[in-house]
Formats: sequence, C-alpha cells, structure tokens
Amino acid sequence: MQIATKSLERHAMLPRPNHDEAARQAFVTAFRGHLAANVVPGNKIAYERRAKLKFEAAQGHAPRDEHDVRRAMEADPYYQFWSAMQRRSQELMWEAVIDPTEREWPQLIERSRTSRGGTRQLKRSGSLRLDPSLVVPRYHTAVDIHLQPGGYHTDYADDDVAAGAIYDRALNIYLNGTLGPRNAFMGELLTGYFATQWPDRKPARILDMGCAIGNSTLPWIDAYPAAEVHAIDVAAPVLRYAHARARALGAAVHFSQANAERTAFATGSFDLVVSHIMLHETSRSALDRIFRECHRLLAPGGIMLHLEIPRGTTALEKFLFNWETYNNNETFGAYMTNVDLAALARNSGFRSPSLVKQRTERGPEQRLYSSETVWNILMAER
Amino acid sequence: MASKPKKPIPSGGKTRNATSRPARKHTARHRVTATESPSAAARPRIARVAKGKRPQYFSDPAIDKILWITLTLCEELSVTRDRLDTVERLLEKERVLKKSAVDDYEPDAKAEAQREQRRADYIDRVLRTVSAELQELSGRTAPSMEEAIAAVES
Repeated sequence: MQIATKSLERHAMLPRPNHDEAARQAFVTAFRGHLAANVVPGNKIAYERRAKLKFEAAQGHAPRDEHDVRRAMEADPYYQFWSAMQRRSQELMWEAVIDPTEREWPQLIERSRTSRGGTRQLKRSGSLRLDPSLVVPRYHTAVDIHLQPGGYHTDYADDDVAAGAIYDRALNIYLNGTLGPRNAFMGELLTGYFATQWPDRKPARILDMGCAIGNSTLPWIDAYPAAEVHAIDVAAPVLRYAHARARALGAAVHFSQANAERTAFATGSFDLVVSHIMLHETSRSALDRIFRECHRLLAPGGIMLHLEIPRGTTALEKFLFNWETYNNNETFGAYMTNVDLAALARNSGFRSPSLVKQRTERGPEQRLYSSETVWNILMAER
Repeated sequence: MASKPKKPIPSGGKTRNATSRPARKHTARHRVTATESPSAAARPRIARVAKGKRPQYFSDPAIDKILWITLTLCEELSVTRDRLDTVERLLEKERVLKKSAVDDYEPDAKAEAQREQRRADYIDRVLRTVSAELQELSGRTAPSMEEAIAAVES
C-alpha cells in the first residue's frame, strides 16, 4: 500500500490558514515528524541500555509488563525530554489549528446553516438531527480528549462547528497525512475488509458509531452508494460540521446526536454497524453497553465491525502507546491495551467474534510508537 | 443543557499580528458566555488550553516552562523564515531583486553599526532574566515586595 497523500483536500467547511498560520501548521507537522522518526526510536535504546538496567538493579527482576516499563522509564532523562517535547507538539498543533478556525468562525457557521437548508430531509441530501437533551458521557467531559481544548463536545457559539473544523485539520497533522486527502483512510480500511470478507453482501442500512466529523463514514457511501448510511456521535459541534462537510463533498449521510450505548433506532434496523477508533474513547462499562446495543440494532445475520488503533506488541511498545493515556488525555487507552474485545462481544450475545490484525505501511516520520502499524478489527456476526 | 445561556454569534474574526497575540481568557469550563464581560460578549474566543492537569516532566517545574517557551519560539522562528522566503521569492518573481542579491549583500559601515546595536539590544532582551539575577546579587535591587507593600499601606 502506498503512503497516503499528505495534504488535505480543500472543501467549503475547511478553514483556510493564512501565510503564518500555514507556516505554524507546517512547523508542527515537521516537528512531530522529526520526533517520530528520530527521537521516539531512541526510547528503545534508553530503555535497554539504561532504564531497564536501573530497574533490575533496584527491583531484583526485569520489568514484567508495560506498567513496570513505565516505572523504569519515567525516571529516565531521555524519555522525560522526549515526552515533554511530544506533549508540547500536541498543544502547538491545536493552537496552530484553532487560530484560523477562529478567524473564519462566522463564515463557517453560516455555511453550515446554509447547507442544512429547509426542513425537507431528502435521502440524497442527508440530514442532521440534534438532541439537546442528550447528556454527554463523563468519559468525554472529565478531561479534554487528545488535549483538544473543549473536546469534541463544547459549543462556543450558537450552531457552533468549530470543534469539527479544528479536528479535521488536526487529524491530518497528528497522523502526518497518513489518513489521506479526506482523512478517509480508516473508513477505506474497514470497507475494504468488509468487501473482501463478504463480497456478495450489499448492506442496505449502515450505522457508523462515534462518527465525529464523518471522515470515516464517507467511504461507506462510496463503497455502497445504494445504502442508507446513518452516523451518530454524542457531540453536537462535530455533527454540525460533519453534516456540512459531507454536503460539501457531495455525500448524503443521516447524522444524529446519540450515545452508542443506547440509541433510539429500532431493534434489528441495520445490517451493518461499524465504528472507527471509537471504543478506546469510551469506558469499561460503556463497552458492554455498546456491544449489547450493536446486537440489538443488527438484524439476524448482520455484521458488527469496530476498528481499533494499534497498541504495540512488546511491553516497551505498549508503554509507548500508553503515553497517550497519561500525557494526551486518552483516559481509557491504557486499559484497552489488554482488554479482550472478542470475549466482551461474545458476552453481549454475538457468536464467534474475532479480532483481526491489519498491517499498514508508514514512513518513519508517520509512525507513532512502533516500527509497524497494526490495526485491530473486532468482527462479529449477529 | 436547555438552561444554557444563549451564546452570541461570533462577530467577524480579525487577522491578528503573527508575533503579538492579545491576552487570552481561558475559562475553566471552556464556555464563552455573553455574561462574562462586554468585550467577551462582542468577541467570543475558542479556548486554547485543554481541560485536565498538565503532567510535570522535570524535577523543577521551571524547566517545563522553559521548554514550553523554547519550542514555541522555535515555531515562531520557523514561521518568520517561511515569511522571509515568501518575500524573497515574490521580489524575485516581480523582478525587484534576485534572491542571490540577499545572499551576496554586504552591509556598509553604517548598516553594520546599526545591526550591531540591534543585535546587542536583542541579546539583552532575550537574556534579561540572567542580568536581573546579577543585579539582585550586586545589591542594586528594589526593596522586597513585602517592604514595598508595607510602605504604601502604612
């Protein structure tokens, strides 16, 4: 597989940075690329030649798991300095993206209002349904996930779309363009997997859970143009943005504000329920409820697919991926490292769920915390 | 959520100077409301700081701050280089001067003297924290804040 195009495709909802704003975004991208290619790999050397030896001398045994590695590495000056720089790179990323969003804010809100146009919600133009009574779960409000100020869910103005516009550009910077010009790679990965596994199936109704800006939703429209595609999220500003963005890119998606733990959709009303890197942003108890809800929503024979982020294989890699939990407000990530998703799905009524690994190629400056990028797909049939 | 105060529509965003940004108000709840202050009502802001405690990476929290500032300066210097590059390329495109003219430029005595002065001022400004400490050690310091406050309160 080729490494994805780096730059984002322009569309009506994407703020256009001015000269210096673009230069800041370019710097952050280059800085993060440098950290990934040249600084992160040094953690392995610091660990094996220093931190691990010190830990063994003090504890009388080698580090047993990622938590032991963490105890060993947190005192290591190389790790400390990388960690502090990585943290600042994440903050700089949001700052560099928020500035142009704030500058174009009124126009973005106006454009999203216009795109909603009227009350007729034709199938081909998609729709947007918000639920002001929905309580945003605590796993979103306790801290701002990924350090995005205000998280996915904060409205700073009426009909706000800022959180979505900010997330769209930041996603491109965070993963150094690996998601492609429409940030669509994860959706493409999952549609590709589904099409390979079930070449004869043409799902008529698809639900995407935790869709955020709908970047992974749109590939399902492309793959199954006849399908009615629904997408839900708990956060209103990203949904408004997602709807306007889909319209700008010519895709008809029915977005609605709902919690994947319990939706208002009818029992058995979907033949495919998917999510893309949503599960690790929920909670232990939410996982059970989400799987049970997927089971309820699927018609007999329906398929559930959840794409999850790579988590590393060695104790050191797991520790490095868990950096996100302790330094990037990804609170549930560390727990997810060792959770048996297939077992949870089985307990929720699915027969023979399985976890599938999908490997993708990335350049050194595009890697996160391991030399290989291995995605996890939880697959189960109703 | 229904009882949330009505938020104003953001009024026109303005292009800000790249190097001097206005002070930002970071609300604890990341909500910008019309009741905050008249200026906040006129121009709501998007928060720049995420909710959640920031880890301390070094034994002395001052080191965290210094790295924070240093990396921000790195970014701003990169922005300035990009901007200068843009200016040089535009000047060449408009046939005002060749890019090589900048590389080949040799300042005359007057220009060099002005540059030397500017460099010295610049270094003074950047390293002021070091010289301030030295001044204090030399005993040329003001009274302590407690003494200064006591003086005006009595």
